[in-house]
Amino acid sequence: MDLMAVTLHVNGSINQVEADSDIPLLWVLRDQLGLTGTKYSCGIGVCGSCMVLLDGMPAKACRITAAECAGKKITTIEGLADQADHPLLKSWLELQVPQCGYCQSGQIIMAYALLSEKHDPSADEIDQAMSQILCRCGTYPRVRQAIQQASEMMRAKDPS
Amino acid sequence: MKPFDPERRDFLKKSALSAGSALVLGIAWSGEIVAETDATPEFKPNAWLKIDTHGVVTLYIAESEMGQGPFTSLSMLIAEELEVDWQKVQVEHAPLDPAYGFQGTGGSRSVRRNWKILREAGAVARQMLLAAGAEYLKAPVDRCQAQRSHITHRPSSKSVGYAELVGRAAEMPVPKGVTLKQPEDYRLIGTPVSRLDLADKLNGKARYGIDTKLPNMLYATIAQSPQFGGRVKRFNGAEIKQRPGIIDCFELEEGVVVVAQGTWQAFQARKALKIDWHGGKAAQLDSDNIIQRLSDETSQKPSLILEHGEPIAQLGSALKSVDTEYRLPFQAHMTPEPMNCTVGVEDGRYRIWAPTQSPTSAMATAAKALKALMPELSEAELEARIEIITPLLGGGFGRRIKQDYVTQAVKIAHHMKHSVQLIWPREEDVQHDHYHPLTQHRLRGSLDEAGNPQAWHHLITGLQSGKYGADALAYDIPHVRVEMLRLDSPVPIGPWRSVSNHYNAYAIEHFFDELARAGGQNPLELRLKLLKEARLKAVLQRAAEATAWQRQDQQRILGCAVHSSFGSHVAEIVELIRLDEHKLKLGKITCVIDCGIAINPDTIKAQLEGSVIYALGAALKPPIMLKNGRVEQHNFHDTPILSFEETPPIEVIISYSRLDPGGVGEPGVPPLAPALANALLSAHGKPVTRMPMKLNGAS
Ligand code: FES
Ligand code: FES
Repeated sequence: MDLMAVTLHVNGSINQVEADSDIPLLWVLRDQLGLTGTKYSCGIGVCGSCMVLLDGMPAKACRITAAECAGKKITTIEGLADQADHPLLKSWLELQVPQCGYCQSGQIIMAYALLSEKHDPSADEIDQAMSQILCRCGTYPRVRQAIQQASEMMRAKDPS
Repeated sequence: MKPFDPERRDFLKKSALSAGSALVLGIAWSGEIVAETDATPEFKPNAWLKIDTHGVVTLYIAESEMGQGPFTSLSMLIAEELEVDWQKVQVEHAPLDPAYGFQGTGGSRSVRRNWKILREAGAVARQMLLAAGAEYLKAPVDRCQAQRSHITHRPSSKSVGYAELVGRAAEMPVPKGVTLKQPEDYRLIGTPVSRLDLADKLNGKARYGIDTKLPNMLYATIAQSPQFGGRVKRFNGAEIKQRPGIIDCFELEEGVVVVAQGTWQAFQARKALKIDWHGGKAAQLDSDNIIQRLSDETSQKPSLILEHGEPIAQLGSALKSVDTEYRLPFQAHMTPEPMNCTVGVEDGRYRIWAPTQSPTSAMATAAKALKALMPELSEAELEARIEIITPLLGGGFGRRIKQDYVTQAVKIAHHMKHSVQLIWPREEDVQHDHYHPLTQHRLRGSLDEAGNPQAWHHLITGLQSGKYGADALAYDIPHVRVEMLRLDSPVPIGPWRSVSNHYNAYAIEHFFDELARAGGQNPLELRLKLLKEARLKAVLQRAAEATAWQRQDQQRILGCAVHSSFGSHVAEIVELIRLDEHKLKLGKITCVIDCGIAINPDTIKAQLEGSVIYALGAALKPPIMLKNGRVEQHNFHDTPILSFEETPPIEVIISYSRLDPGGVGEPGVPPLAPALANALLSAHGKPVTRMPMKLNGAS
């Protein structure tokens, strides 16, 4: 385990960190950069609460090393904060999706990635994407509704 | 909600129940008590609310927010009577203060226990604002009205805002008695109000215990004996301390602790630990033999919970009877946020960020742990050195009633003489939960010639099992005996969403269908005939209508169950759809609740959806299994919870009521598993005697 200098592009800013060569991105975000919106729950890539965007693609921050992310564009839940008007976040609030909220960064990042790729995902595609994020409080029915509603809003705005 | 700031050292000690205005007692972190004269006056008639000169209303909620919504529902109760503009309301978690009584959130009690107190707290403040407003407007108080943060003189429509009345209201006498509003005058209660804690849960700003960061904080984790009751014999501490980033590695009564510069280094070092353990007393026990072994060892006899008529004689001479045994497994809580606790140490003081369901218990726990380490100090001296701060909780479900993580964090911080955050990795969390107990239910029942239940005998045998849910049989049956053999448990047991109602309702409601079918009766109609509680009967009737109970066939199979718990009454109906001869899938789940007056209907719906999903996971997913005195499971891969795609459509119906509120966080859990088992009994003709259930094929 050697310390190495890594340059991370997170939410539009550039960060130089000294990191263990095998430390997962999750712990660099949380402990070194103070970005605690990305959550630890299983650490083995099963629960999805640590989901972030890597060059726009969803990735589990507990399963990739910080070193692997050097030079890539990392977006965490904090990076979506200025998009409160995004149909997804609006629907999320309107439908009062979160309960305890702990899994919700993962849910939102995943749903955001899904809708960015495709404005009108099918029910199967929604199932496939969202089944990667566990929610112990059982917000699934509202997650589904919020994605469907956001998808309708996005299609109305941008019928492509 | 105000952003949470661990660095806020001018932490305000609320001077409870004093009607003071400008003077607040501030406790500086260094410990000296300073009387600060706050430049801006405020109106703080009691421990629950404060209004400042901008008209901002701060409400202090003393229940833990773990997703069940008390910050909002309880704020609504105060705001309703305070006649305040909801847009001006902000909420903070109340500090630990005797003014709030015992601070512990559980048993679906938040609304019930605060229902009267909080409305009165709001009404007292309103009365004082009315008196101040009348004086200001030079009008008689009985011609004035409080509405939307204003006092208005009705005849002239002249009005003044609460903001301007802050100083004056604080001078008014505190009224002795107040009149509360009638339900027809409610403006907030009964409307779907947006949750005050949600905005920050969408942008990463919400702070849970695990997100606490203190200056120079160290990170700790722990390895506890996999076998319950085991003790450390020896471990490779010297080797572990050589690892980069590791500050210390030492033994506690509970296990081996690693302290590091980061969570990851601590977790990795924990994995590298080689610990020899002294075996625990549970070594021989497995899920399959534990009830038998402990029953054989104990000299205890079952204790009677309920008896009327002559059940045993009746069963002996019955024409037709059913005899069955169900066994329900251990369950883990699997809170999404693993156990953690952060302790700030400075000048002999301990500030503790405890994501706990009970700050009062956390205080007692921390004081006890420190007392053992500093016996020269009295309890009172120790408590004066401790501050408990309750952040948001990433799930609770009963797990966080227990304070084991607080004890450990305090011991570690004391050992290190340094601020420390303790985080359990998920593996520790799964193997050291306080589990929902394993229980066994022997049920015998008999029928008269007409096929009506005549006698009923339920024997519960369980590890520290409870009687709730079995202590009042909902049905009118002439001969009944309910008894329980409650075994001492070497496996830690604790409250789990709906507690003993979960297994007891399963046994009662599934056996009811077994009996009904043996008597050739429609289980739903027999329930309607025998249920004693009108409200329970009404929710079942409503569920039957909503699901078109009569329209069942080979393709569409329904199962129902009812249960009253935590002051509410719930009926659930589970639909199974037949895909082909061998394959069933879950259809829709319908849930009807009568929880008295519905405070925030949208939160109630969310809680019921969550309860159904929680209970469905327990019914269908692999449970916790004990093998050689230890838990075989480790993490979410082998202790799975229900996933997005496995969740069927759920419809929640809230039946209208004006009665006092009942609980909503748990009552939706108990009816689900028996309703599903009853649908399976209908489909396969066989009772479901074990969990997890299998939709297809016998279980
Ligand atoms: S913490 Fe990364 S998937 Fe669970
Ligand atoms: S909202 Fe609590 S785990 Fe999803």
